Amino acid sequence: MSTISTHLRNFKEPTKEQLTQLFFALPPSVNGVSSASGSGHNNTGNSEKSAVGAAEAELEKMEINAVLSLGVQGEEDSYAGKLYLYPPYLAFASLDRKSVRFTLPLCTIRRVERLNARAGIYALSLSLWHGMKIVVQLTSLRPTADLFCSLLRDALKVELQKGKMKAVKPFVKTCYSELLVANATAPGNTEEKDGGGGGGGSSKSAAATDDGGPSSPAADSMYLGGLGLKFKFPGDPKKLREASKTKLWTNYLRTHGRNLTLLRYPQCTRLIQVGLPNRLRGEMWETLSGSLYLRFENPGFYEKILAENEGRTNTSTEEIEKDLHRSLPEYSAYQSEEGISALRRVLQAYSFKNPETGYCQAMNILAAAILIYMSEEQAFWLLEVVCDRLLPGYYSPSMHGTLLDQRVFESLVQRCLPIIHDHFQEVDVQLSVASLPWFLSLFINSMPMVFAFRIIDCFFCMGPKVLFQVGWQIGFVGVQRMIVPRLILFTAILKINGEKLLQIQDDGQFIHLMREYFASLGDSAHPNSSDPRARAITRFQELLLVSFREFAVITDETIQSERRKYRSEIVHSIESFSKRAAIRNLRTFERFTKDQVGLIYDALFKAICIEPPPAVSLPPPSLLTTKDQAEERPETRIGLRTFRVFLSEICTWARTEKIVSNGFQQRIDREVAEHELIDRLFYFWDTSYRGALSFQDLVSGLDGVMFNDLMENIEWFFNLHDKNKDGYLTKDEVLTLSESLLFIFRHEIGDAYLGAVSRFMSNAFEYGDALLPRPEGADPDSEPPTIEHNQPYMNLATFRMVVLADEILESFFETDFSSTFRLEPVPIQDIPNTNTGLLGGLWHNIASDDNRKIFNRFTDEIGKTIGKHQVYTRPAIGKYTALEEPKARESLLTPTMRRTASKSSLTSPSETPANDPSLPTTSTSSSSGSTLSADKSEPTVSSATSAEFSPMPSMFHAAANAAALMERTPFAIDDAKDDDDESDIETDVEDDGVMDEVDAFLEAHDSGLTEAERELAQGTSSSTAVWSSLSAHGCERIDLINAEPVK
Amino acid sequence: MADAASGSTERSVQVKLVLLGEAAVGKSSIVLRFVSNEFQPNKEPTIGAAFLTQKCRLEDRVLRYEIWDTAGQERFHSLAPMYYRNAQAAVVVYDVTKASSLEKAKTWVKELQRQANPNIVIALAGNKIDLVTPSASSASPSPESEDEADDATATPGETTASGEPESLRQVPREEAEAYAQEAGLLFFETSAKTGEGVVEIFTEIAKKIPIDQILASSRGGAGRPGAASGRQGAQEGGVNLEENNTKSKDACSC
Repeated sequence: MSTISTHLRNFKEPTKEQLTQLFFALPPSVNGVSSASGSGHNNTGNSEKSAVGAAEAELEKMEINAVLSLGVQGEEDSYAGKLYLYPPYLAFASLDRKSVRFTLPLCTIRRVERLNARAGIYALSLSLWHGMKIVVQLTSLRPTADLFCSLLRDALKVELQKGKMKAVKPFVKTCYSELLVANATAPGNTEEKDGGGGGGGSSKSAAATDDGGPSSPAADSMYLGGLGLKFKFPGDPKKLREASKTKLWTNYLRTHGRNLTLLRYPQCTRLIQVGLPNRLRGEMWETLSGSLYLRFENPGFYEKILAENEGRTNTSTEEIEKDLHRSLPEYSAYQSEEGISALRRVLQAYSFKNPETGYCQAMNILAAAILIYMSEEQAFWLLEVVCDRLLPGYYSPSMHGTLLDQRVFESLVQRCLPIIHDHFQEVDVQLSVASLPWFLSLFINSMPMVFAFRIIDCFFCMGPKVLFQVGWQIGFVGVQRMIVPRLILFTAILKINGEKLLQIQDDGQFIHLMREYFASLGDSAHPNSSDPRARAITRFQELLLVSFREFAVITDETIQSERRKYRSEIVHSIESFSKRAAIRNLRTFERFTKDQVGLIYDALFKAICIEPPPAVSLPPPSLLTTKDQAEERPETRIGLRTFRVFLSEICTWARTEKIVSNGFQQRIDREVAEHELIDRLFYFWDTSYRGALSFQDLVSGLDGVMFNDLMENIEWFFNLHDKNKDGYLTKDEVLTLSESLLFIFRHEIGDAYLGAVSRFMSNAFEYGDALLPRPEGADPDSEPPTIEHNQPYMNLATFRMVVLADEILESFFETDFSSTFRLEPVPIQDIPNTNTGLLGGLWHNIASDDNRKIFNRFTDEIGKTIGKHQVYTRPAIGKYTALEEPKARESLLTPTMRRTASKSSLTSPSETPANDPSLPTTSTSSSSGSTLSADKSEPTVSSATSAEFSPMPSMFHAAANAAALMERTPFAIDDAKDDDDESDIETDVEDDGVMDEVDAFLEAHDSGLTEAERELAQGTSSSTAVWSSLSAHGCERIDLINAEPVK
Repeated sequence: MADAASGSTERSVQVKLVLLGEAAVGKSSIVLRFVSNEFQPNKEPTIGAAFLTQKCRLEDRVLRYEIWDTAGQERFHSLAPMYYRNAQAAVVVYDVTKASSLEKAKTWVKELQRQANPNIVIALAGNKIDLVTPSASSASPSPESEDEADDATATPGETTASGEPESLRQVPREEAEAYAQEAGLLFFETSAKTGEGVVEIFTEIAKKIPIDQILASSRGGAGRPGAASGRQGAQEGGVNLEENNTKSKDACSC
């Protein structure tokens, strides 16, 4: 049992705007879904509905060149960069994208003033919540700056109306930094802070605490913290120099804002590099990663999602339970119920919010680690940011993100450390055997925890500092910014160990070496140095140093392009792996070969791509529990809609293929057919009555029809229509069966099949009636007893007899039916593919479905104008040849009819598409054979050769209505109907009068017939000879068919 | 934990062995018991895979097991081929108290038989029998109170609490043994906690490994033993221990 996932193909390169959002860690779709009740400048919010729309529309994003300087202190240099207005956020990044940056929620801006400085300078002074003032000088042209200001004003108004300003005060109280700064500052300073900007006065009335925490008078002590507060933080505080770090941070936070208003100046990054103080660590992680904004924007969400899903269990919760006691078990909190249940809640909340990802091992370690430093709610949002934005796809069921970055990592090693790479190649060592766990658990269980946490500090912060290079335009890549330092780190690890690595001979030695190295990180890097300062440098410091100094060449751009390069490869290998697994997990291949099963899988995969099955909604467990253990595992099952697409891939009559030529191109438009027969087949194959089919169901179902001989096919078809499986068809079912046949034959050229079906019906009812049980002693010739339409009427034997009575049907069931199921390789480009391999991307851009459609429509129009446009429907069976044409077990073909036949036989093939689509509908609505065919008496394509065949004695005496029918629908034979030929036929569809004209043409040009055709026309029966001469005269034949009607 | 990578100094045969099985059946615990004769009640889940080595003396021959202990969670499945490629032996572990884990074990066996080295020696191990044999586990009280969670993980110790230990068993020995026989696997029931049956797995595997092929190929300088034995895939996997001994003497003398 296996699941088939196509979501990897739905990957889209992020847009420039998305990249910016990612860079500044803005919560996704902030202004997309939030219910803004405010309004823009020309709307005062009277009409709520329009106001929302208007506000959303007007809150435009904008970016502008600006120079940032700290207003009051003036300690810092000014930095030129770009200011971004992405309501409800204002963000700034210096030109090098690493020195200075900030992301400010608009609601923390208390006042904006235009500074009346010297002429020609356009500067704004922003007073922020924490009392700082920053000055941004807009260096763009005046009109641009004016526009920016008005947009900023509008956005601020909206925020004010939403009441977001009021949320700031209770929120910042949850941050430790507030306490830190408040304790360190004189009371006077604190007051100044609170009374600072008059514009934010509303915050003082903030009584409601959205975080659910009790609002105590000692509000400063409300900050959220992790398990470490109670269970101690790992490491020795003295050795970690906690006190001095805290002091440095206090100073920084006082002058550069904190939590929501943190401005990141170069000093900030330096401070992070030496390691965050334990108590501040959680909050800084939140701020640096941007999960703070998520928590700010979604107060109460964490509690809500837990409450809503309380008591729910699923695969994820089961897996979580297994690992709860196995997450950092040596840390004391996780030996107590308090720590365990916190971990459980965070992991469960994540899995409820992200059911697709659910829970992946390694997340437990990550969650356990961050819970030491932050509260559950903070950890929940941080986990969200890590899994969703920083390490996208790492923990997904296919783990494609992990695999992709492994590939990228390998290629980077190849580029930066070619010697090591070559050596590894030589001894056949795979880097990823060691590096994969590093990637997944962020080193937490690979190296001593103290060091791992310092790496995580860098992980949340360092990317921009190290990597973003001067002069980069906005096309930089944000998604990977966190990955980069890690990749660098990994590469550095390899570099430092370079010499030893060259000696290793296999995977095992490699892992050992790495493990030893990690264990020794605390040791001196230069133990034998005479310089005490050099001796003091630990290996860990050396590692960071090497990482960021020597591998600065690895840029986001590099990573991005490498990822693009390998993405399709990874997707392909994941897909082929799941294909192999799916095939391996089949209970049985039935009579198919492995390759054939593969083709079935491909068709299924394509169908799922086109028509994704509905989200897995498993029936209640009580219904699912079977003795078959394997059944309990999740399995992809497709619904009816997907099934139709699937069947159209495999089965020729389950699709409508129109061959369109318009003088420029020839293409095949394929449509998925819908008919009761297909639905019937779906439920017929659904042997476990789940209303959905698995891969196994499809294989077994196809097996039931693709290997059948004549008798088996007849029986299969009978069973398909025997709804209650009592071995009898009712009259209604006989009719349905006929409709099914007509549906299958709907695109066949010529009327042969149509006739066969109507004969079948009349025969069926005649025989059915004749064989009905009579009351004892009744006259066998008397009227048959009437029977309800829904009563058992015809058994298999009778059905078989009726079918065999007709040569067309016999041959249909003998070979043609089975061969309408074709396992053919699915052309790659047919699969909707958004993968962004080099070619893939290119192809996608040029040949997107829309573009193709537009192109097709365009050429069609031109084709029509120049009279070259032609549509031709490809028949489902299409192997019908003159040789097999029923020399009709018909006795009813009279000479007069023969003429009709010959006259109509030249009707242009273009009639088919024009009329055919209506066939199934018209015919299915009729209830008896005669009306059925009478409705559709339009003869379709045939050639002159078909005109006269010597009738053969019919095996049955056809009913009178059938005779009437025959008169109107002479059999036409299409001998020009090989697949190759179809496309060559060119006739004008639009011409309504074509039939008459063709008739006239025929009469007038009778002499134009070739020898062979005349021979045929005269009813020569030596078919082989005719055939060979026909092919010899192929040109004439085609000419005849292609002849333009005489006007 | 184990002997370091010092394979070059001593003349020993390297055998790559991979552990597979559902999450939390006790794969890592089995390895830990074998390698360092320890047991950790709350072993962290394996991420990706862990690597350990252990030497194993069989008669006069030294085998050096390179053990790849893989992650059990379903989504790590796609990584498994990376670890079992070139493996000469595999231990597929299930949990005797969890019927579904045997089903997963069966799919692993199926996959190994189709995808892995054709000569691979596969052993099936039903772990956690201390949970179902009263004598084995009653002596070890556990401070934990999380009954459910512990039963599900590789952390036995709650057996006493349940009162009726045998009721925990979901996979009868006979059923698993019959399956192993049918599929041509070595079969063991083990307890990583008590150590019961653990060393036996590795000893029996050692007996069944075609050591001489490995030796012959590595002596020929053909590189990796796994690849080598793969090449000689035509040979029958099971090699008699006695045969080994006689031949191996020659092999050893050089």
